[in-house]
Amino acid sequence: MNTININLDACDGCMTCVKACFANVLRWEKPAMSPVVAYAEDCVHCNVCELSCPRGCIEVIPDFAYMRWSAL
Amino acid sequence: MNAMAELASLGESISTDICIMGGGIAGLTAAITLKEKSPHLDVLIVEKATTGWAGKADRGGGILAFLTPDDIPDDFIRFHVHNIGCFLEDQELLSEYAHTCNSVLDYLDAWGAKLAKERDGSWKYIKTPGVDVPWGMASVELDMCRCLRKHARKLECRFLDRTTMVDLLKEDDRVVGTIGFSIEDGGCCVVRSKATILANGSQNYRVLPMWSPGRGDGIAAAYRAGAQMRNAEFGSFVNMVHAASREVIFGAEDHMYNASGEDISARYRPGVQPDICAMSAIGWYKEYLNSNGPVRIKSDENVLQAGAEVLFASDLVWDRPAAIAFWSRLWEKGKSVEVEGAANMPEVIPGFVGEQSPVKVDHGMATTLPGLYAVGDVSYSGSAWTGAVPSPPGRIRGTGLMNAVWSARRGAMAAAAYAAGLVEIPGVDHAQAAELKERIFAPLRGDRGVSALDLVRAIQDAITPVRYSNWKSEERMREALGKVLEVKGRLADLTAADPHDLSRCNEAVSMALCAEMFYRASLERKESRGWFVREDYPETDNANWLKWIVLEDKDGEMSVSTEDIPMARYPIKV
Ligand SMILES: Cc1cc2nc3c(=O)[nH]c(=O)nc-3n(C[C@H](O)[C@H](O)[C@H](O)COP(=O)(O)OP(=O)(O)OC[C@H]3O[C@@H](n4cnc5c(N)ncnc54)[C@H](O)[C@@H]3O)c2cc1C
Ligand code: SF4
Ligand code: SF4
Repeated sequence: MNTININLDACDGCMTCVKACFANVLRWEKPAMSPVVAYAEDCVHCNVCELSCPRGCIEVIPDFAYMRWSAL
Repeated sequence: MNAMAELASLGESISTDICIMGGGIAGLTAAITLKEKSPHLDVLIVEKATTGWAGKADRGGGILAFLTPDDIPDDFIRFHVHNIGCFLEDQELLSEYAHTCNSVLDYLDAWGAKLAKERDGSWKYIKTPGVDVPWGMASVELDMCRCLRKHARKLECRFLDRTTMVDLLKEDDRVVGTIGFSIEDGGCCVVRSKATILANGSQNYRVLPMWSPGRGDGIAAAYRAGAQMRNAEFGSFVNMVHAASREVIFGAEDHMYNASGEDISARYRPGVQPDICAMSAIGWYKEYLNSNGPVRIKSDENVLQAGAEVLFASDLVWDRPAAIAFWSRLWEKGKSVEVEGAANMPEVIPGFVGEQSPVKVDHGMATTLPGLYAVGDVSYSGSAWTGAVPSPPGRIRGTGLMNAVWSARRGAMAAAAYAAGLVEIPGVDHAQAAELKERIFAPLRGDRGVSALDLVRAIQDAITPVRYSNWKSEERMREALGKVLEVKGRLADLTAADPHDLSRCNEAVSMALCAEMFYRASLERKESRGWFVREDYPETDNANWLKWIVLEDKDGEMSVSTEDIPMARYPIKV
């Protein structure tokens, strides 16, 4: 499974990463007003959350082994 | 209770003139076109993720295959029929495409997308190196959907994000709305509309990462509602990928060597090919069968990948900061798993993509159900202008975006004309909606059963192996279909923990249905043509198979029939 690390100390709560994820991996936690990695198993390491965070809070670490399909 | 109150009792109830399912580039184009043509229309996009960020367009190459000033539409049509679609095209629609597709660049430009231009304002383009094809490649920056969303918002389109639509609501034969739910809070959502436009992409079975939004929901919804499907057998697009990172290597198919060091590309892909074809995957598989694997490529021969790196990850040709950041980051991380010392001869494997897009539409992108239109990747093969290929890249890289915009404009115009004929937004039958709601939410009822991801994996096992989906035979396809039907038998046991998981369940249902369509249609076509290759029927059979295969639900069974291609009407004869 890919790992998505969010540095909440640097996060200003702009919500861009939650909108940017096309696989709905990230959710917005209302009480905390911050993003949370809710479904890392659905992350396809497109890196768009990482690239679009204006404060550089996100790091996506791909685990290429999650793609278990076989061509044989 | 009156009808509206009854509907509201099911959850959120929304009315709109035109509902668009899917907020990728096709959905956004349809919305903008509708508002430009008829500003008084109320237009709503319902998107599973967030419109403007969702979909494939901004995670791709941003290439636009268009006819350059030196390319002639009739040359494009002739080349297409002979080399791409192999006589399975609707030649009339292909001709309309060839003569009007260049307008796509003007529209995207007018709507705020950033296209590369020369100093004199003309489109900056390149020709594919090494092949003489009658088109060129222009480019657009990878924030096109955000630009289009901004424009659509200015035109007062409405957006309902993070909501997935599952089924279509009908009154007799016509489609009068859709039903789905919020992936945030799981609330049921019913949309009543004069017309509905499906723009929710192709079927890619969640295999290759960037193709992941295409999970076939629109195809499945249309099928269940009774719409016909066409060309469902063209749903096994495959790209050669890096064995370690599973990242696509552009051009890999032309530089493949087996374990004995023999050039197998020359063996399986003789001559100059316009683009990828099924034979590279089939060749790879045959070498493995003969204990001649692994298959590697010689990177220093592969000018296409080197060219792609210049085009996508540098500003030497096109200055696209978002594209450069996206591709550099992707490739940089992919390189981290490359085996030390193997960079010059990496192992490659066929990466199944799928790109099944069979919703059958006419020249106005109307499906066979009144009130329902289908645009973009959901109906690429179903529209038939493309012939014997899966949806983009098919065999011309850069037609995905072009077709999405081109078809969405046509679909929007036709939907607007249809809606204009209706005085009121039709009502929705409460009992029908309640029954669908019961079915859609069933996986949330219990805590025991099978998980969606387990079934998705089981479907992938029946579709990604080359021997099933690309190197086809009656026996192997029956085996694969058996696996799919076994999954189908377990769909009633799906269980979901929350609304996001419920959405995965619906996707698993869509995938099982699409895989069944793929094999039933493939078993019917007893020949080889274009992307479609059978070991047991290796020849193209023009005497018997200038036909489209049509699928339809008949009382819960998948009926398979054929439709003769009207060759007598077409200018280019076999
Ligand atoms: C890696 C890659 C590279 C590519 N490169 C190019 C290229 O260079 N040039 C080119 O022309 N084409 C390219 N393509 C193809 C191109 O991106 C697609 O053809 C095009 O984006 C299709 O647009 P679409 O709107 O029809 O579908 P999509 O982009 O798939 O959008 C469908 C939308 O529907 C939403 N959706 C799905 N189900 C539901 C539901 N049930 N309810 C609500 N919403 C739903 C999805 O979230 C998604 O946003 C590439 C594709 C990939 C993946
Ligand atoms: S890398 Fe892509 S898929 Fe993964 S969390 Fe970020 S935006 Fe979502
Ligand atoms: S994009 Fe960055 S700053 Fe904005 S909410 Fe996400 S993590 Fe925080």
